Amino acid sequence: MAETILHIENLSKAFVRSIKTARKKDAIEKISLLNHLDLTVEKGKITALIGGNGSGKTTLFNIINGFLDADQGSIKFINGRIHELLGKKPDTIARLGLGRSFQDNHIFDELSILENMLVAGKETFGETPFVSLFSPGRNRKIEKQKTERAKTIIENIFGSGNYFWQHKAEKAKNLSHGQRRILGLLRIFMADFKLVLLDEPTTGVNPEFFQSITDILNRMVNENKMSVFLIEHNMGFVKQVAHNCHFIHDGCIRASGTPAEVIDNPLVRNTYLGF
Amino acid sequence: MNYLLHILIMVNIYIILTVSANLIVGLANLLSLGQAAFYGIGAYITAWALMTLGLTLFPALLLSILITASIGFIIGIISLRLKDDYFILATLGFQIIIYTVLYNWISVTRGPYGIPGIPSPKLFGLVEIDGILPFFLLSSILAIAVIVIFRNLIYSPFGRALKAMRDDSIALLSLGRNITKLKTQAFTIASGFSAVSGFLFAAYITYIDPTSFNLDEAIFIISAVMIGGTGNIKGPLIGAAFVVILPEMLRFVGMPDNIAANMRMIIYGLILIVLMMFRRQGLAGDYKF
Amino acid sequence: MLLQLLINGIVNGAIYALVALGFAIVYNTTRIFHIAYAVIYMVAPYFVYTFFDKLGFNIWISAILAIILTIVVSLVMELIVYKPLSKKNSSGNVIMISSIGLMIIAINLVALFYGNDTKILHRDISDSIRFGQLIITYSQLLQFGGSLLLITGFIFFLKFSKFGIKTRAMRDDEPLCRVFALDTFRFRNYLFALSAVFAGTGGILVAWDVGMDPYVGMPMLLNAIVALIIGGVGKFHAPIVGGFIIGILQSVVIWKFSANWMEGVTFTLLILFLVFRPQGLFGEKQRLV
Repeated sequence: MAETILHIENLSKAFVRSIKTARKKDAIEKISLLNHLDLTVEKGKITALIGGNGSGKTTLFNIINGFLDADQGSIKFINGRIHELLGKKPDTIARLGLGRSFQDNHIFDELSILENMLVAGKETFGETPFVSLFSPGRNRKIEKQKTERAKTIIENIFGSGNYFWQHKAEKAKNLSHGQRRILGLLRIFMADFKLVLLDEPTTGVNPEFFQSITDILNRMVNENKMSVFLIEHNMGFVKQVAHNCHFIHDGCIRASGTPAEVIDNPLVRNTYLGF
Repeated sequence: MNYLLHILIMVNIYIILTVSANLIVGLANLLSLGQAAFYGIGAYITAWALMTLGLTLFPALLLSILITASIGFIIGIISLRLKDDYFILATLGFQIIIYTVLYNWISVTRGPYGIPGIPSPKLFGLVEIDGILPFFLLSSILAIAVIVIFRNLIYSPFGRALKAMRDDSIALLSLGRNITKLKTQAFTIASGFSAVSGFLFAAYITYIDPTSFNLDEAIFIISAVMIGGTGNIKGPLIGAAFVVILPEMLRFVGMPDNIAANMRMIIYGLILIVLMMFRRQGLAGDYKF
Repeated sequence: MLLQLLINGIVNGAIYALVALGFAIVYNTTRIFHIAYAVIYMVAPYFVYTFFDKLGFNIWISAILAIILTIVVSLVMELIVYKPLSKKNSSGNVIMISSIGLMIIAINLVALFYGNDTKILHRDISDSIRFGQLIITYSQLLQFGGSLLLITGFIFFLKFSKFGIKTRAMRDDEPLCRVFALDTFRFRNYLFALSAVFAGTGGILVAWDVGMDPYVGMPMLLNAIVALIIGGVGKFHAPIVGGFIIGILQSVVIWKFSANWMEGVTFTLLILFLVFRPQGLFGEKQRLV
């Protein structure tokens, strides 16, 4: 039995809004997004979450990392100790070791490639104001360590003399969409997360980057001992990288297993894949 | 010569104000309409420290910075929970509340009568800083010190985190940084350093009254930041120099005083609009505001 | 005494409500923080002054001409500054700074043409009605009646006309309105015109009583903004209630303390609302993410 890193139980979330209709004045409309959802993510594995648009995938991610509140349920993050994530703030959750990437990248545009990496670094010593004034030596040393680490991470993946390191002083806004996606993933290495949520890592990215992304995901799991939980629409990619797969529909998990099993499941074929 | 030194002292005072305001407006992208309040608190604490407590130069300056920063911290905690327009409104609200207190708490601040006869500060209790040349030197030293400190802050990991927050606070949050803490730190530091300007103003002019620290002054400080440009050190320097020197230029070309006062405000207004439309990074800034 | 103050408070409240409603017409629909709205309030009585006092026109004709010119000023602001900025998708802060620029320019232009001193529209002492101890001046009656007439007129207009439906639609979702081929910019012209009618009328009614100088706009705008926030952004009846609350509160402050503390108390109320109930009395809680 594999170890668990994330255990979700009985999670529900609905948006409630009051609407005014012609007949009834203050009717309440309830849109259920997650419906008593149970799910487990194994440690040291890549787990994929598939499902149609509006099935609650991104909502689930936003709840796990604290951007949204849930109505009920529990989310246990097991990293040495067991942490209940519900009710915690996003930055607290990130400091516990749970990171994420975004569909729309969320890169720091005005910072250089290197600065994007350094900002993500786990060590926050120099980020207290005046530290660089009163403790310049230590600050310089930590900055140097972080820069070295950024270099190692980039060179491990792309070899020496690669594009990213050569253009490290370039502002991130000048990068292409695919390069930004990759920078977003590289940033995660700097932060030293234990579990990362990746929201559609290949969507909208030029296929020439697929190999790099696959490579990065495998390194996350094999070399950096991270666990990966990703949302993906590209079934080929899921089959290629994921160890486990869950199918979400109408706000709860309808099928789980290996990617091949889940994709072959008749329910998944009928309701999502459509063949 | 004295006239020139007077202008330069005023430039130094405004450099400190704009460089501090740049930390919140330029780096943290928080438009604060309350900076004049901190400038004023700094000036009133200085008057109290020099007159009533009889402190010498550095203790008085330090006390003024500490008390102003503490008030800035409290105001920051309250207003930084709010977003966008609501944050601006909160700082505007505090600006007006503090002005009202300075104006009406007559038993302490003498209200509209102001505080005259603020004594010259003494350096280590020995040398009295009196006369225009010593004040020019003192204000230049303080301005340079503030510039060095803020340069250091902007290019430190703290400044980098602020720039990252300005670009994308959601991403920074997901990397485990406490956004509210960052903002509060920036706000507290900026308000504390505004007190240095207040100190210089009170000690140099030797008379203060609330009207020097009203909402118009707060808007004026923000205008100086916007005109110079945000995100680096050069921008605020140019902005401060510009807003102080422009009125003197108008006088120099022979515009009568009663017209010049209105004309220079019209010029500031025009510059603000033109910059917002065509050059949001100001005259010398790094970032488009 | 209390009753007298209460009546004064209600009359002031009616003016606040009127001016706040004009601000809300623009803010609720376009999210433009129209600081230059202060100027709209201020210029209208100056136009009346020109036609009525200087050119000797009939007062009603003067007032109508003044309102028309005020609308023109409002439209010029929208067309020259806000519209180009909105087309560029400028941030709220950029638009606010530009609006501050507009306000600075307009105040100083008026000061250049008319001077900084207080102008009075008519010299004869206003008649009043007495009920025992209570005194209500005709000016007050005019202020209250005029405000109430415009406010109720607008509410009916909003409920039953096509314009009202469009206004509410734009308040709820501006991009969607564009999708449905509503020319939002042409529609915005009507909104700015309408808001100018409200501010202009308010400005004239108050100036008829106490006169005006180029700086009367800002304090009134601040009261209007507080009325809008404590009522709640997004609802058109909210600033009306907010206006009356502030008017009455200020009377109580005058009664218990002094008129000098009025602004301080008003803005303390603003801060309390921003912290504990940012959606105001009638607004709905907004989603943060």
